[in-house]
Amino acid sequence: MNKIALIVRKELYRVFGDKKMIMGLYVIPVIVTVAIYVLIGKMTSVMTNDIEQHTSLVTIANATDDFKDAVENSGFSQNAQINYIDDVTYADKKASLDEEVKNSDMDLVVCLSADFEEIADEYAAGGSVMPGIDIYYNDTNNYSSKAYSVFNNTVLETYKNSLLTERYGDVDYLSVFNINTENICKESMANTQFIRMMLPYMVIMLLFAGVMSVGVDAIAGEKERGTLASMLISPVKRSEIAAGKLIGMAILSSISAVVTTASMVLAFAFMGSDSTLSGIGFGGVSFSALQIVELLLIMLALVLFYVSLVALVAVYSGNTKAASSAISPIYLVIIALGMVTMFRTGTDTPTYLYAVPVYGNALAVGDVCSGELTLVNFLVSFVGTTAIAGILTALVTKAFNNEKLMFNA
Amino acid sequence: MIEINGLTKIYKLSAKKKKELKTNKNVKIAVNDLSLVAEDGQITVLLGPNGAGKTTTLRNVSTLLTPTKGYIKVNGHDTVKEAQKVRDSICFLTNEIKLDEHFTVDYLFTFFGRIKNLDDATIEKRKKELFETFDMSDFKDKRIEELSTGMKQKASIVVNLVNDPEVVIFDEPTSGLDIVTARSVLDYLKKLRNEGKTVIVSTHIMSEAEKLADKVAMIIGGRKVIEGTIPEILAKTQTADLEDAFFKLYMENNCSEKGDKDE
Repeated sequence: MNKIALIVRKELYRVFGDKKMIMGLYVIPVIVTVAIYVLIGKMTSVMTNDIEQHTSLVTIANATDDFKDAVENSGFSQNAQINYIDDVTYADKKASLDEEVKNSDMDLVVCLSADFEEIADEYAAGGSVMPGIDIYYNDTNNYSSKAYSVFNNTVLETYKNSLLTERYGDVDYLSVFNINTENICKESMANTQFIRMMLPYMVIMLLFAGVMSVGVDAIAGEKERGTLASMLISPVKRSEIAAGKLIGMAILSSISAVVTTASMVLAFAFMGSDSTLSGIGFGGVSFSALQIVELLLIMLALVLFYVSLVALVAVYSGNTKAASSAISPIYLVIIALGMVTMFRTGTDTPTYLYAVPVYGNALAVGDVCSGELTLVNFLVSFVGTTAIAGILTALVTKAFNNEKLMFNA
Repeated sequence: MIEINGLTKIYKLSAKKKKELKTNKNVKIAVNDLSLVAEDGQITVLLGPNGAGKTTTLRNVSTLLTPTKGYIKVNGHDTVKEAQKVRDSICFLTNEIKLDEHFTVDYLFTFFGRIKNLDDATIEKRKKELFETFDMSDFKDKRIEELSTGMKQKASIVVNLVNDPEVVIFDEPTSGLDIVTARSVLDYLKKLRNEGKTVIVSTHIMSEAEKLADKVAMIIGGRKVIEGTIPEILAKTQTADLEDAFFKLYMENNCSEKGDKDE
């Protein structure tokens, strides 16, 4: 049997022959990933619904009869508990009402100027003093923010229109043009902002985590245990040992990546099926067959790069502890590179940046999600990453012939 | 047969190593102009203190290291120019080897057998023979992690002997072994010798050398200071036993007792 295939089979058996390894590498990460996203989705959905269904606690001081009518007619009162107070009571309670808003015991306090209608009439007749409405709310309290927003858009708009109608007869006289607004984004991108932002980062990070978990022990562990020496004096070329190790690591890591990504897609699909979540950017992303192929090829190139990088670090390290210590800062850099791409602006990214491993791959995955990946950028990303992985692989093979590295000589 | 001719191994020292060894020198001569012949059907023992250069010598013989000067031939094949041919006929054992705990003994035995170009029938035959010799038949399907320390050590020895090598190289064969396992290992080495194999071992334990050796080469500070059968060495040094002989030679060679762990 081909020696490379033998070594690959051993690396695979090492994981698939051990239930604990399967659990640690494939099952638990999937459960944790799905659980985290489902939990985030559920909690976000519950929070959004809770805010929507919350009965706003509102105090309105000096409300005129017309203003009270506006409150009723706007529908605001249907989901609000409103306490009307007069000017004297408001003056007495102002401090305590402010405190209640700060402490989230009250959502909104509205105070109309005393003699609001008289002042409004005088202003309409040419007076210089305009009546005022003071609004107090707490931006750090979701209930209060929502109450303010709804009050502003419904009650105040209704009341303003009624006063303008009273003053000018037809409020349309005050309009000078119509504004028609239409959101014409791609259908595939509608309500998917969150997923499109998160997916490249998650792919970049999870792939490396998968490689890291199998790669360190496969090389540094064997060196430390002395079993690599047993293989090095067997009639197998060192390049075959290196190739077998790297291919084994790549297969295990790819399975880990595919399983984890599939679990994320499932979790996202679950989140996308929730209309509340979909409305705030958690909608599911759907891919065409071409996009799936592009995504898999980008991930494959990235796995090859990660495997060769981790193998190189492991082979240069004296033991697993040293290898893990050396890989930790690399992991942080990779997380940082993935995060940078989360906050891309709409400006065009130069093509050469797609050749930068990790960063370029994250850009390409992001473009796949938004359906904007060009053939040139795809090829630059794929070829660039694969070429650098090839260089690192050559260095790993060379290192297997270095007695100083292999035996700390 | 192993023929070592003028073997010299010099390591370049990194700044870290220099600090560890508390030296200003840029190089360390681990083995210095060592020549030796290990015959077929004999056990040749390299005897010396820690840091003498025994492990470095054996690693050079087993093709893991390349001599700085000199050459080594194993059954007529040069360890550098014909490394693959040498690897076909040797096994290198050390008690530092710790098998991967995720595998069973049986799996690793088969894996190393296939890696060493054995067919499955030969592997099964060797498996039966070695598992019986080392009393491992009941443990072959257990994972390494489930075995006792002694059984783990036996497993690593058994796995490396799969190809029935003509030349057995064993670095510190009983180091760290329990008394029962140590005895079975020493008995097996004698059996191999009786089968006509070339056996070369290193040790710093005098009693072990006395029990095993057909020929002893004492190494101190990277140099071979004496070579011969035990009676020849005792006669040359005019001492009563191997330990006295060693200390006499040790003092004559004016060596520090500071051992270099990184042989």
